[in-house]
Amino acid sequence: MKPLIIEKTEETPEIILNPDTNTYKISYRSLPENANGFYAPVFQWLEEFAQSPIEDIQFVFELEYFNTASAKQIAKILLILEKIYQKTDLEIVWRYKKEDVDMMSSGIRYSKLLDVEFSLEEVPDN
Amino acid sequence: MEGEKLEDITYSFKLFEGMQRDNLGYIYRGLFTQNITDNIISLAENNLETSGESSKIKKRVFSIMVECLQNVTRHQAPKDVPVNDPEQAGIFVIQNHNQAYQITSGNVIEKNLIPGLQGMLEQINSLEKEELKAYYKKILEDGSISDKGGAGLGLIEMARKSGNKLFFDFKDLSSQLSYFYLHTAISKDSENSFDSIDLNNIKNLHEIIIQKNIMLIFNGCLNQDSLISLLSIIESQSIGAVEVKKKLFNIMVEMLQNIVKHGEKKDDEMGGNPGIFFLSENENSYTLSTGNYIAKETVEPFSEKLDHVNSLEGDDLDMFYTKRLLNFDIDSSKEAGLGIIDLRMKSGSKLLYSFSDVNDSISFFSLQVTI
Repeated sequence: MKPLIIEKTEETPEIILNPDTNTYKISYRSLPENANGFYAPVFQWLEEFAQSPIEDIQFVFELEYFNTASAKQIAKILLILEKIYQKTDLEIVWRYKKEDVDMMSSGIRYSKLLDVEFSLEEVPDN
Repeated sequence: MEGEKLEDITYSFKLFEGMQRDNLGYIYRGLFTQNITDNIISLAENNLETSGESSKIKKRVFSIMVECLQNVTRHQAPKDVPVNDPEQAGIFVIQNHNQAYQITSGNVIEKNLIPGLQGMLEQINSLEKEELKAYYKKILEDGSISDKGGAGLGLIEMARKSGNKLFFDFKDLSSQLSYFYLHTAISKDSENSFDSIDLNNIKNLHEIIIQKNIMLIFNGCLNQDSLISLLSIIESQSIGAVEVKKKLFNIMVEMLQNIVKHGEKKDDEMGGNPGIFFLSENENSYTLSTGNYIAKETVEPFSEKLDHVNSLEGDDLDMFYTKRLLNFDIDSSKEAGLGIIDLRMKSGSKLLYSFSDVNDSISFFSLQVTI
């Protein structure tokens, strides 16, 4: 499957979905006005990927900030990942900067909603 | 306490109403840095781009804005003046009224510099277009550039570009310091020039801004681009703790995106939904206020949603957030959106709001969040 790479902007995250290198990561920040539109290609990619996922996937979220419109889209992504988890080994890694309580609690909230391997990782603040 | 706060939100609406007559109004008060200046300019750019203004006028507005902002940045802190004193902080105002873009800047000045400055301004004002050009060349050739890089070239440029006189005023601050107001008008129609402009309105507005400790007022069409510029201005501020700044940022995004997504237009405004945003600082807290039009028929259901969110606390609020997080059918819901719930959670207090009638089909919605 072709990788999906979206570069970060002031208002949208960097997205790397690359089976060639086995890297799956969403990072930086997400506050698009039209979150639905921005994440549409991501869902499309993941739905297709979910048909025949490869083994041993680590899906990383390393966001500094997201708006509520993006919060819903992230929930949707996580629900697709939960489906993939039923087929193959998949771990969700939720990274947050040291002392970023908001990002930590968002991670905890999502982890409670899902039946999937989910780990929270604190990373140093720069 | 609650009563006092509600009075305050009505006051906000008055300020909104006052500014709403202009279709662009923007006030920044505080420390001026390159980054903040850049964002103030891109904000105005964004609004002018969608205003259908001729490129000649736009260019003039930009170059005068740049000169003004550079003036304030250079002169904002004379020796021994604490920049964080609200009364002495620099100010920049751009408004659109009387068929002209009205730009005002203000900064403290040492009193002993006033005669020189005043002389220069009067000299510039006494010259006609061609004479100004010659005067500009003369100063360039004389090479008498002041240690702050000025020599009045910027002022001459402003006079030339605006096609109007430079208007100015001073306000006494102390035995050594005064406040200097500089005002330029860029007429949209060159036939329409200004002989005199009373700066008392601006001085009064400045008083209110100091009293309420307002850092930023934006009144114009809101879209994602203006939102990003406003956010960058906040990010560049030296606001206390990192968490506070972050919270401010988060709350601003939700409040302003609400206007971008759900605001109504009253007339045929282009380039976004008309709205007002302002930020003020109080002792150890920040207050964010927004105002925008909404369709009258949505006032009642929207009030119910807000009241419901306000009635929830702690775990109930948290559960409500999760429930709404997993609801993916947009816009059809009878329950409050995630943004409103998020504002309530982040602010830690009840959301203050009010509605005012504008006409038969439209109301004005004010929302205030304090952190």
